[in-house]
Amino acid sequence: MSTSKAPNNKNKKNKKSFSSLLFGNLFGSRKELSILEEEQVQSPWRTVIRIFRSNKVSMTGLIVFLLIFATVMIGPLIKPIDLSFSESSQKDIAPGFDMMKVPKELQGKIHDIAVGPTFSIGASTDGQLYIWGKTRITSAIDIKNLPRDEKTNQLIDMGKIVKVAAGTDHVLVLNEDGQVFAWGNNRQGQTRIPYEVEFVDIKDIYAGYQLSIIVTEDGRTIHFGSTMINDYDEFHQYQGQIDKITMTQDAVIGLTYDGEVVYLGSKVNAYSNIPENMGRVIDIASTASTVAAVNDEGKVFVWGNVTASKGEGNVPETDSKIVSIQGGRFHYTALTEDGKVLAWGANYYNQINVPEKLNNTTVKQLFTGSYQNYAVTEDNELYTWGLKGYLMGTDDLGRDIFTRLLNGGRMTMTIGAVAVIISTIIGIIIGSLSGFFGGKLDLVLQRISEVVSSLPFLPFAMILSSIIGNSLDSNQRIVLIMVILGLLSWPGLQRLVRAQVLSVREQEYVIAARSLGIKRSAIIFKHILPNIVSIILVSATLSFATSMLIESSLSYLGFGVQAPHPTWGNMLYGANNSIVIQNYWWRWVFPSIALGVCVICINVIGDGLRDAVDPKSHER
Amino acid sequence: MLKYTLKRFIYMVFVFAIMSVILFGLYSMIPGDPARAEVEGLRNVLKPDEYQRAYELARERLGLNDPTHIRYIKWAKGFLRGDFGTSIIHKQPVDEVIKTPLRVTIFINIFSVIAGLLITIPLGIYCAVKKGTRFDRTVQVLTIVGYSIPSFIFALLFIYFFAVKLGWFPVSGMKTPNFTGTTWEMIKDYAKHLALPLMVMTIGSLGGMTRYVRAAMIDALSMDCIRTARAKGLKERVVVLSHAWRNALLPIVTLLINWFMSIFYGSLIIERMFNLNGLGKLLIDSLFNQDYNVVMAIQLFYIVIALSGNLLADLSYGIVDPRVRVNK
Repeated sequence: MSTSKAPNNKNKKNKKSFSSLLFGNLFGSRKELSILEEEQVQSPWRTVIRIFRSNKVSMTGLIVFLLIFATVMIGPLIKPIDLSFSESSQKDIAPGFDMMKVPKELQGKIHDIAVGPTFSIGASTDGQLYIWGKTRITSAIDIKNLPRDEKTNQLIDMGKIVKVAAGTDHVLVLNEDGQVFAWGNNRQGQTRIPYEVEFVDIKDIYAGYQLSIIVTEDGRTIHFGSTMINDYDEFHQYQGQIDKITMTQDAVIGLTYDGEVVYLGSKVNAYSNIPENMGRVIDIASTASTVAAVNDEGKVFVWGNVTASKGEGNVPETDSKIVSIQGGRFHYTALTEDGKVLAWGANYYNQINVPEKLNNTTVKQLFTGSYQNYAVTEDNELYTWGLKGYLMGTDDLGRDIFTRLLNGGRMTMTIGAVAVIISTIIGIIIGSLSGFFGGKLDLVLQRISEVVSSLPFLPFAMILSSIIGNSLDSNQRIVLIMVILGLLSWPGLQRLVRAQVLSVREQEYVIAARSLGIKRSAIIFKHILPNIVSIILVSATLSFATSMLIESSLSYLGFGVQAPHPTWGNMLYGANNSIVIQNYWWRWVFPSIALGVCVICINVIGDGLRDAVDPKSHER
Repeated sequence: MLKYTLKRFIYMVFVFAIMSVILFGLYSMIPGDPARAEVEGLRNVLKPDEYQRAYELARERLGLNDPTHIRYIKWAKGFLRGDFGTSIIHKQPVDEVIKTPLRVTIFINIFSVIAGLLITIPLGIYCAVKKGTRFDRTVQVLTIVGYSIPSFIFALLFIYFFAVKLGWFPVSGMKTPNFTGTTWEMIKDYAKHLALPLMVMTIGSLGGMTRYVRAAMIDALSMDCIRTARAKGLKERVVVLSHAWRNALLPIVTLLINWFMSIFYGSLIIERMFNLNGLGKLLIDSLFNQDYNVVMAIQLFYIVIALSGNLLADLSYGIVDPRVRVNK
C-alpha cells in the first residue's frame, strides 16, 4: 500500500506543493529505472499503474470509456443542439439514411417525383411506380402497401403512371388513362376518391395535409379529405379558371389561366394578402407556411407567414431568369432558364446547399419537397441534396436522437463529475478532520454522516429536487441536481478517508512531522492526504458511475434534468409505454446502450483500480 | 446490551426530531396557499367581503397565520397522535391513503429479496469456492454488467421481449380491470401481472449481492481456521458451509439489513414503470400533484425505517458474531 513510504525524492527539494506531491506520485514523473533497481524502489503508484495495465478487462473498459468521453465532449461542438427545435413532420422516424436513395431502376429514366415528409414516390418514363424512404407512417399505415382490391384482396393494376403526388401521410397517382389512385392515411377521407372524378379529364393531382385536390383540364378543382385545417372553399369563384394550385400546411392557393394568383379559401389571412402588381405569374409554389410566385420576368414574390429565422423571403440574386419554382417544407428551389438551380430558405438539413457540380451542367428536371431535393441534368444524371435520414432516428418532437445523445452524454457526464467532485471534497474534508482530531468533533461529524447515509437516496433526492426545483428554471435545476447528488453521497468516502487517516495518523513520519512543529492542517493535507489518494481515487471512480446512474434514474422519473435539456436518463422519460417500446425502439435502445456501456466501463475501471491499489483484494 | 439499545433508541428519536424540523421547514418554504385553494370554489358564490372573511377563517383554522415554530409544534402534536393530515388529492386521511400501497410495496419487495437471496447466496459461495475458474470469471463479468445497468433499462428490455414480442405477460398494471372469477383465478391474474416486475427487481439486485457474498466468502476461506478444519480432515462441504459460511456472515448481514430497509422504497422505479399501486408510485404521484402531506408522511416513514435499520444492523452483529457483542 502507498502508506508506508514517504516520497523518495523529497530530499531534492525542501518544499513541495500539495499538487506536485499529488500528481507527481500519481503519474510517476521520475525517470525510468533498470529492472534491478525497480525491484527495490518502485513507487507505489508505479506498481498500481503496472498492475492496472496488466488487467485486460479494465484496460478495455478504460479505452472504451475514453472513447465515449471524447465523443460526447467533442461531438456537441460538431453537432450543437438547438434546444427549442421541434419539427412535427419528422417525428418518430426510424434510423437510416435512405430518404433520398432513389431506386437503381428509376435512375436515368425519371419522369416525376413527389416528396412527402419522410418518403418519396416516383414514376419512371415507362410508367413504373417506385417508393422509397421511411414509408411507415404508423404501425398500421405504410405507404409501401399499395392499394388492394376490396373483394379479391389482390393488388390493383394501376397501369402506366404519369403523375405522382405526396401528402403528409398519403399519396395520389394518376395513370395515362386518367385514373386516380390514392392510399395511405384515410382518417379524413383524403384517399377516398369521389365518384365524379371518373368522368373528368384530369390535368394534375395534388396532395397536402389531410387533403387531396384534383385540377381538371377545364380549370376546375375537385377536393377530397378534410378542409377543417386547410382553408379551402369548394365553391370559390375561380372554378373553371384554375391552371395549377399549391398547398401550404393550412391553405390552398391557385394560379389562373390569366397568370393571376388567387386564394381559394374563405378566410382572410397572411396567404390571402396576395402582393399586387406581380404581373403575369407563370409558376407558384409553397412551403409549410409561405407562398411564392414567379412572374414572366423571372421575379419572385414571397408572402404568407414569412419568418426571418427561416429566411423564405431571401431570394438570392441571379443574372438569368427564373422560370419555375418549387417549395420544400421551409425552403424554395428555383430553376432558371439556362438550367441552373437556386435555393433559399431554412437550412437545418443542408437542404439549400445545392451541389457544386450542378453549376457546370444544365438541369432539366427539379423536384423539391419536404427537406429533399432531386435534380436531373440534361445527360440524365441525378443529383440529390438535403435530408438523407437520421443515424439514430428521431424522437416524438422530431429531434435527431444522435444529436441529443451526444449532448445528453455531455450533460450526464458533467453532472456525474461535478457531483463526484462535490462529494469527494466534502468527504475528504470531513473524513480527515474527523480522523485526525478525533474526540467530540469526530463524534458529531460521524453522527451527521450516519444520518445522511441512512436517508433513502433516490426518494430523498426526488423530494429535494421537486421541492426546491419548483421555482427554478431548467439551467438552475441542472446545478441543483449536481448539488443534491454531491450533498447526499459523501458519507461513504468520508468513512474511508477517516479510517485511512486513523491508520496513518500514528505512523512515524506523521509523528516526526508533528514533533517538528508543523501545523496540523499542513500535516493533514501535505503529509497524510497524498498517501491515501489512491483510496480516494478508487472511491471517486466508483461513485462517478453511481452518480451517473442516479442522475439518469432521477431524470427518467422526471425529477432530474428536464426537457428540453437532454440527458441519457430523460431521453428515456417518454419511453415507458408499450407503444413506444414496441414501435419506436430507437427511442429507448440507443440511450440505454450508451448509459449501460458507459457505466459498465466506469465500474470495470474502478474495479481494476481497486485491485491494483489494494494487492490483497487482487488475490480474490 | 439493554443500555446500549436504549442509548441508540434515544439517539434515534433525537435524529428523527431534527429531521422532521428540517423537513417541516423545507415544506413550509414552498410557495402556495392551502387556504386560498380551499376557498377558491366559493369565489363566485360569495360576495367579495364574505369571500375574504371565509378566506381569513380558513387561514385561521389551518393555522397559517401562526409563526412557523408554532405550526411545527401543532403539526408534531398531531403527528404523535397519529394524525398525519389530509391528502389534498385523495381527500382522505393520509394513513388511509398509504395503507394499500404500503402493502403492495412490502409484498413485492419481500418476494424479490427472498428470490434474490435464494439465487445469490449459493451462487456467491460457489464462485468463491471455484475462484478463478472460467465459470467464476464469467459470473464476475456478468455481475458487473448487472449492477451497472439501471433497473429501468432492464425493465424496458423485459417488457420488449416478454410482454411485447412474446406476449406472455401484460405490459403494466396490477390486475385485469373488472376481473371476476374464483379466488384461484384472481391469484393467477395477479401472478401474471406481477411476474415481470418481480423478475426485473430480482435480476436487478443479483449483481451486487453475488459479488458481495463471493468477496465475503473468499475472505472467510482464507482464514486460518479453515486451514485447520481442512487439516483435521473434515469434508470440504462441511468446511465451506459450516466453518467458512459462518465467518462470512458478518459482512453479509450488514448488506442484508440494508437490503431489508430497501424493502420499503427499493421498488420506486419498478412501480412507476409497471404502474403498480405501491408506495413509490404514490410518492411520485404526490410529488407531481404537490400533495405534500402524503409526501411528508412517506418521507418520515422512510426515515424511521432507515434509522431502525441502522440499529438493527448494529444489534445483529452481536447476534451473528459474539466477538463484537456490545457490552456497554
